[in-house]
Amino acid sequence: MVNTNNRRTILYMVLGILATCIMMFPVYWMFITSIKPLNEIFSSPPIFFPNDPTFKPYIEIFQGEKSMLLYMKNSFIIGSGSMLLTLLLSAPAAYALARKKITGLVIIVGVLITSQMFPTIIMATPLYIIYQKIGLTDTFLGLIIANTTVLLPFAIILLRPFFLRLPKGLEEAALIDGCNKFTTFFKVILPLTRTGLITVGTFTFLMAWNELLFALTLSNDNSMRPVTVGIFNYMGEYQSVWNNLMAASFVSSLPIVIAFIFLQKYIVDGLTTGATKG
Amino acid sequence: MDTKTEATRLNMNTKQKVKYKKNSKKKMNWITDHLFLFPTILFFLIFILYPILYNIMLSFKKMDVSNFMTGGVWAGLANYQAIFSDPLLYKALLNSFIFTFACIVIEFIIGFALALLFRQKFPGVNFMRGLILVVWMLPSVVVGVLYKWIMAGDSGVLNFVLTQVGLIEENILWVSSEQFALIAVTAANIWHGIPFYMIILLGGLSTLPRDLYEAAKIDGANGWKSFLKITLPLMKPTVLVLLMLGLINSFKVFDLIYVMTGGGPLDATTVIPYYAYKLSFLQFNFGEGGAVSGIMLILVIILAIVYLKLMQKEEAN
Repeated sequence: MVNTNNRRTILYMVLGILATCIMMFPVYWMFITSIKPLNEIFSSPPIFFPNDPTFKPYIEIFQGEKSMLLYMKNSFIIGSGSMLLTLLLSAPAAYALARKKITGLVIIVGVLITSQMFPTIIMATPLYIIYQKIGLTDTFLGLIIANTTVLLPFAIILLRPFFLRLPKGLEEAALIDGCNKFTTFFKVILPLTRTGLITVGTFTFLMAWNELLFALTLSNDNSMRPVTVGIFNYMGEYQSVWNNLMAASFVSSLPIVIAFIFLQKYIVDGLTTGATKG
Repeated sequence: MDTKTEATRLNMNTKQKVKYKKNSKKKMNWITDHLFLFPTILFFLIFILYPILYNIMLSFKKMDVSNFMTGGVWAGLANYQAIFSDPLLYKALLNSFIFTFACIVIEFIIGFALALLFRQKFPGVNFMRGLILVVWMLPSVVVGVLYKWIMAGDSGVLNFVLTQVGLIEENILWVSSEQFALIAVTAANIWHGIPFYMIILLGGLSTLPRDLYEAAKIDGANGWKSFLKITLPLMKPTVLVLLMLGLINSFKVFDLIYVMTGGGPLDATTVIPYYAYKLSFLQFNFGEGGAVSGIMLILVIILAIVYLKLMQKEEAN
C-alpha cells in the first residue's frame, strides 16, 4: 500500500515537472534570448543554453530617448493611478451592494456584469472623440479614467464577496459603540477586508499595466505612453533584434514576477472567489 | 368626556409624531446607504454610459477626421448598410468564431487536465501551480512579441522542434502566411489562457467533498468512472461560469492579434474587435467603426443575459 502510494506520488511529480517545463518553455526562451549575443540568436540549430551570455540588450534598452525607464515610469503612474481610483470607487460601492438594502440591487449587479464583458474597443472609440473635445488626450488622467471604466465593474464584482463574508451584526455593534455609518465603514469594515482590497489592488494594477488599446488610441505623445506601447514601438525599431525585444519584454513583465513572489496567495484567492462565488 | 377626547388627541399626536420620526429616519437611512454608491454611479454615468450612448449615436452618423470635432452629419442606417455589405465583416465574424471556439475547447481540456494533476499532493506542487499562473499574468503584448519570435519562419524555435520531431518537413511561415496565421494567434492565446482555466477549475475541485470519492472507491468505481459520475456533475456550476468567462475573454482579444499579425496577412486574423479598430483608427471611419461596436454591444448584452440566467438557475439549485 505504502509502496503504491509512493509510486503514485513520484508519477504525479514527474508529470507535474513535465507539464510545468512545457508551459514555462516560452518564458525560458524569452529570457535565454534576451541574454544571447546577436550572432547566437540566428544560429541553426538554435542554442538552448547560451555559450556567451551578455547583458548588453538590457543596457541598450535603458539608453536613449526611448528608454524603457520612461515607459516603465509611465506605466507605474498609470497603473497606480488606475488602481487607486478603482479602489476608491469600488470599495464603498461593493460594501453597499453587499450589506445594505439597495433599491434595484439585481439590476445594478446585472449592469456591472454586462459592462465587465464589453470589449475595450467599444469604449475606446467614443472616449477618443470625447477626449479630443475636452482635452484629455495625452494626459495620464485620461488614461487612468479610461482604464477605470474597464476595471471598476470587475473590481466591484470581485470585492463584493469579501464584504458578504463578514459576520452579521457587525454594523449594529459598531453603532452601539458610537460609530456612524461612515466611520463604521472606514474604521471597522475596511480593515477587516484588507485581503480583498489587496487582491483587487493587485489585479487592477496588473491589468492596467498590461493594457494596450487605450494607451494606443488615447495618447500620441511618446513621453506619456506606457510600457506596452513601448514594446510595440521597439518591434518597429529593432525589427529582428530579438535579444533587445526579449529583454524589453522580460523587464516589462517584472512587476508580474514580483507580484507572483509576494502576492500569489491573494491572486489565487481573488481568482477563485471572483469566478465561483461572484 | 372632555378630558378623555383631549387625551386621545394627545395620544394620536405623539403616535403620529413617532410614525413621522420613524419615516424620516427610514428616509435618512435609505439616503446614507445609497450614498456609498454615489461616486460609482456618477462615474458610471459620465465615463461608461455616456460613451456607450455616444457610440450608438455615432453609428448613425457619417463621421471622419474632417468633421469629427463638429459632430459629423446624420446618416441614418448608412453605416450599418455599409458594413453589412462589406465581405470583411463576415470574414471577421468567422475568424472570431473559429478563434473563440478553438480557444475555449482546447484551453478547457488542457486546463482541466492540469487542474486534475495539480490537485494531487506531491512535493513542489504549490510552486509549480504558481509558476504556471505567471504565464496568465503576462501582458498580451509580451505574449504577442514572444510568439512572433518563437514562430518565426527561419530561426524560430517552433519550426526547429517540429522538424526534429518529424511533424513538418520544411519551415512554416506561421505568422506571415495567410494559411497559418489564424492558427498561430489561436495557439498563442491558448497558451496564455490555460492557467486561468486551470486555477478556476482547481478552485472548483477543492470544494468537492473528498469522502464521496472514498465511498465511490469502496463501491468499486475506478478513476475514470468517478470522474464522469462524481467530478463532472459536481463541477457543473464552476464549468458553466468558466466557459462563459472564457467565451467573453476570447471574443474580446485584441492586443495579441494587433501585435502578432495586425489582423493580416490579407485579413486572415481580423476578428470583430480588430475590425472595429481598423475602421475607427486606421481608416478614421468612426461611423462604421461605431456600427461594428453597436453589433458587438448587442452580442455582449445577449451573452450577459444568458450568463445571468445561468447564474440565477445555479443559485436556485
